[in-house]
Amino acid sequence: MRRMVLRFLSLILLLLASEASAQRFQTEAGEVVFLSTAALNEFTGESSQLNGLLDLESGLIDFYIDLNTLDTGIGLRDRHMRDNYLETKKYPFAEFSGNLEKSGPLEMNEPLEVEARGTFTLHGKEKFLNITGTLTQLTASEILLETGFEVVLGDFDIEIPKLMFYELSETQTVTIQARLKKTDL
Amino acid sequence: MNRSILLTLALLLVQGISLAQLERKLANADRATELTFHAPRHINLLTVEPLDKKVLHFAIMHTFGPVSGGLRNLYGLDNGANIQFSFEYAFDERFSVGASRSGRDKFYNLFGRYHLVKQTESGSVPISVSLMGAAGVNTVDYGFLQEAAPTFSERSSFAGQLMVARKFSEKLSLQLSPMFAYFTEPLPAYLIEGEQQLYLGLGFSGKYKITGKSSLTLQWIPNLNSDLRNNLGLGIDLEAGGHVFQLYFVTSQNLNEQYLLAGGNGSPGEEFRLGFNVNRIFASGRK
Repeated sequence: MRRMVLRFLSLILLLLASEASAQRFQTEAGEVVFLSTAALNEFTGESSQLNGLLDLESGLIDFYIDLNTLDTGIGLRDRHMRDNYLETKKYPFAEFSGNLEKSGPLEMNEPLEVEARGTFTLHGKEKFLNITGTLTQLTASEILLETGFEVVLGDFDIEIPKLMFYELSETQTVTIQARLKKTDL
Repeated sequence: MNRSILLTLALLLVQGISLAQLERKLANADRATELTFHAPRHINLLTVEPLDKKVLHFAIMHTFGPVSGGLRNLYGLDNGANIQFSFEYAFDERFSVGASRSGRDKFYNLFGRYHLVKQTESGSVPISVSLMGAAGVNTVDYGFLQEAAPTFSERSSFAGQLMVARKFSEKLSLQLSPMFAYFTEPLPAYLIEGEQQLYLGLGFSGKYKITGKSSLTLQWIPNLNSDLRNNLGLGIDLEAGGHVFQLYFVTSQNLNEQYLLAGGNGSPGEEFRLGFNVNRIFASGRK
């Protein structure tokens, strides 16, 4: 029995040790921009409150944003976006959770092309996405992640009204830029 | 031995799960409730719906003749409309001032709105409370009167309103608005039915969302200290991008607070009039 307890304790220690050495990088202030390009009207929405986690050891990549923080510069448009299209009270987050597929050793200030495969969730709907982007080691404890992808609103049951005085594009171009800092657990 | 391996695996699994994702957290759980009403105007009354800082709100409001005129008068549209142009500018998220002009009695009105309390999404604040005050003047040229034309002060009237609203759900919002109107000299020449100086009323405004961008609307203003009929309005609000269209049937042709309380009303159903507002926001921020 005592041996069991000891073994158990050593296991926990081992796990803790492995965690401390894990290559986990996090941010709470990544930048997201979406661009809506319709025939007569082009506008962007921004947030600088993207939360992200990148674990270089396991390849895990996990990002989410509180959609209420998106700002298009016009309050009424923001409110319509939140209440009528994204329905942020019911579905407050946009999320991407997946794994780094193509990755290599990072070198200082050298952007590395990477590919991530995972699930993108928006408006309560999930979609499998393949995203390419770059990772750049800025300092020993900081990595810059840059990526972009397209979101087709229809894929996520977000209806575009026909009668609109500002036009909304069916395809939104999303750009992400996040400085991830090494975390010690 | 087997057991410890299982234990290890279980531990690894638990750890894997707990580390797999970031915990989803709202950036601001105490966010103010939005779109209690579709616009700062709801049929004829003002609402607690605030404007953003440095935003200009323009409303053009019309009420036509009685529907009872039938097809011959195209249900009142031939009778000509009372039209009110209203501009309201917000200095910040709490305070805005506005000016309006309505055709009946060529009436100019200056008003202000102040938002005291805002309901929050989390429920920590259950209601929104706003105040409005207005001062207006009738500018008709009374040269046709046998007696001397009324003076500026005799033409003046004032209104005040406390607005208490709650968005009960995504669909239902209600507002209660105790209000008063005061005429320094309610002369018979004015297009009002009342003869007293002070009018008290209790406005009810209701919104029930039927689709994402349209709502059924209600307005009921019982008079508390006069024998005038009560105001009743029923309609629909339609959001279309930057515009909010409001179509309604209402018992009065009046569009500003003073005249809504003193102006009198037709009986509901019989003397309903078609009304139509267009609300538009002009933002001075980036596009």
